[in-house]
Amino acid sequence: MVGGGPHLSPGEVTLANDGILFLDELPEFDRTTLESLRQPLEDGQVAIARVGRATVFPSRFQLIAAMNPCPCGFAASGDGRCRCQPGVVERYAGRISGPLRDRMDLWVHMPRVEPGEYVRSASPETSRVVADRIAEARLRQIKRSGVPNSRLSGRALRSACGLGPTEQAHAVELAELEGWSARGIERLLRVARTAADLAGCNRVEASHLDEAARFRGPSDRRVGFEAVG
Amino acid sequence: MLGVQALGPVSSHRAAETEPTPIASTAMEPQPIDHARNGGDGAGGAARDAERDAWVTLLSVPGVGPVTFGELLAVFGSAGAVIEVASSPIGWALLREALAHHAASAVGERAEVRTARVAMPAVGWDLASRICDGIADGRRATERVRSLGLKVVTLEEPTYPARLRLVDLPPPILYVRGSVEAMAADHVVAIVGTRWPTDKGRLIAGWIASAVARAGAVVVSGLAVGIDGAAHAAVVAEGLSTVAVLGGGHAHLFPRAHERLAEAIAGSGGAVVSELLPDTSPSRGAFPRRNRLVSGMSDATIVVEAGRRSGALITAGWALEQGRECFLVPGPFDAPTSAGCHAFLRSFPGQARLVSGIPELLEDLELDGGASMRAAEPSPGEPRDPRRGEPGSSAIGAGRAAVLASLAPVERALAEMLVEGPASVDDLSRRTCLGAAAILSALTLLELRGLVAGAGGRYVPTGTLASWARSPSARLKRRE
Repeated sequence: MVGGGPHLSPGEVTLANDGILFLDELPEFDRTTLESLRQPLEDGQVAIARVGRATVFPSRFQLIAAMNPCPCGFAASGDGRCRCQPGVVERYAGRISGPLRDRMDLWVHMPRVEPGEYVRSASPETSRVVADRIAEARLRQIKRSGVPNSRLSGRALRSACGLGPTEQAHAVELAELEGWSARGIERLLRVARTAADLAGCNRVEASHLDEAARFRGPSDRRVGFEAVG
Repeated sequence: MLGVQALGPVSSHRAAETEPTPIASTAMEPQPIDHARNGGDGAGGAARDAERDAWVTLLSVPGVGPVTFGELLAVFGSAGAVIEVASSPIGWALLREALAHHAASAVGERAEVRTARVAMPAVGWDLASRICDGIADGRRATERVRSLGLKVVTLEEPTYPARLRLVDLPPPILYVRGSVEAMAADHVVAIVGTRWPTDKGRLIAGWIASAVARAGAVVVSGLAVGIDGAAHAAVVAEGLSTVAVLGGGHAHLFPRAHERLAEAIAGSGGAVVSELLPDTSPSRGAFPRRNRLVSGMSDATIVVEAGRRSGALITAGWALEQGRECFLVPGPFDAPTSAGCHAFLRSFPGQARLVSGIPELLEDLELDGGASMRAAEPSPGEPRDPRRGEPGSSAIGAGRAAVLASLAPVERALAEMLVEGPASVDDLSRRTCLGAAAILSALTLLELRGLVAGAGGRYVPTGTLASWARSPSARLKRRE
């Protein structure tokens, strides 16, 4: 994945430079493979050292990954069809380590779509419309800071958000609810800034923070005391 | 009948709760013990502790179950005496001799129960010597129980759950983590169901559990994932007591995913109970046996969702067998998760009963909703509103209205929708015709207020929103 081998060849993370690396069925990957993604994700480059030689490859990619909620795929369908033993669901999600989870900005749950619903639903927005909106938001980001939000450093990000005292207090409240690390709060701000850009707002408001907080990962905070099977 | 073996005469009389059990009657007069205490207080306490230890030691011998144990007690008077005899150099011979005599003299009174057994002594050579060996290192069992901080309640103590005493072959010992008193409540109701419930089933289990608990009953269940867990969790969330009966020993808590739940149960005035030695690992056969304790401890058993072959139906079968009430929550006609409930209702017309709504259930259980309302809103100076007695009409309804009134319109709309059943962001977006961004931020605010929780892309009501007064059936009742 990261590269190496006898000829010190670039890996997938480098091949995906300036593009998208899509990993399907993420928990099925080897733990060490997944952990090796941490450095390239963080630094945008990957250092490889082999006997007598060392080199650095670029690896500025957007990671997109997909996974099922449990081995059988029915957990969270809410109709009692998941027959995974207690603890299996947690173990399956646990194959993605905390540090790796922490580096993912957006977590989106995709509930099962009922067949009837799928056939009936008229798609309200085409990808073209969405793409235009994204391009606009990106333009706005670059105009403001010179780089897209994903490349903003911590301080630049905070100033770009321009949070007022109420919004700051609200961000703290959210972070406490989730028990977030500093990295988690930074992620919240980054996503909130982007949400505000998509909405065409110059300042990040409380509602953008709330929206951003929804895209959190499967946290350790359980619903009550009960394991949700 | 649904995998339930008849284990002797059915005790179909609930009124006779003071009647002594077969074992107790042949054993000794119950000692005047006021409390199940394992610390010991004074000389009487020390003697009591010693006898309790003797029970644990004797029952830790492989092969000594309720029947053998009862016979040993009948002959020797106390477990301490059995151990004393067995500790002598010719202990095994004495044990065997005494039991042979007993068996011969007991032909008359017990013939109808164990016809096949009277001809031979209950304690064979093998078992007699095993008892002697087992007692030699029997200290280990009592040490283990003590080191785990478990309380021991024996059948001869008054704190032993009265209803369980009436069951055929009650477990001689209960190992308890938490409060022993929880099992002695005036009203005890079991709530059980499938380990793979639907979201709605989970919600209903929570509604029923919190309603029943608020009405002053203790909720018993089996700590399994699914319906059992939802019922326990709802009661714990109310800060009331619930009893979990384990299928294995305390040192092998199963499922492990519910360790925190077990801790919360023991911590909130409830109890986690097992009839097995702490180091017994759960086995396939242990769970059906455990189920007879769940129903046996309770006045009534309520099955929320059960597939055709669900273990919850075994509990329901035990309840009828033990002469207790049995209620089943119906589901959609074709739902596999309710097929077992429907089949059971059909198999036992006139015995198994239907849950047609929560106020109706409380009425059928003869539970008073009023007492709980007072507990939920303790204001001593205030005169009590007589209408509070009617479930669903009062303080809790007002509380819900207040909570909803304090919400912004979007949040209120979402809260009202989620009360009807869990939903995803897409569902909510379609039903409210609002954009995802607005819904996401409203959900976060609801979550901050502890009214909603997200699990796997679906949102479920929690806290005050999840309580039974908000259930559709309660609302229907109010409209009448």
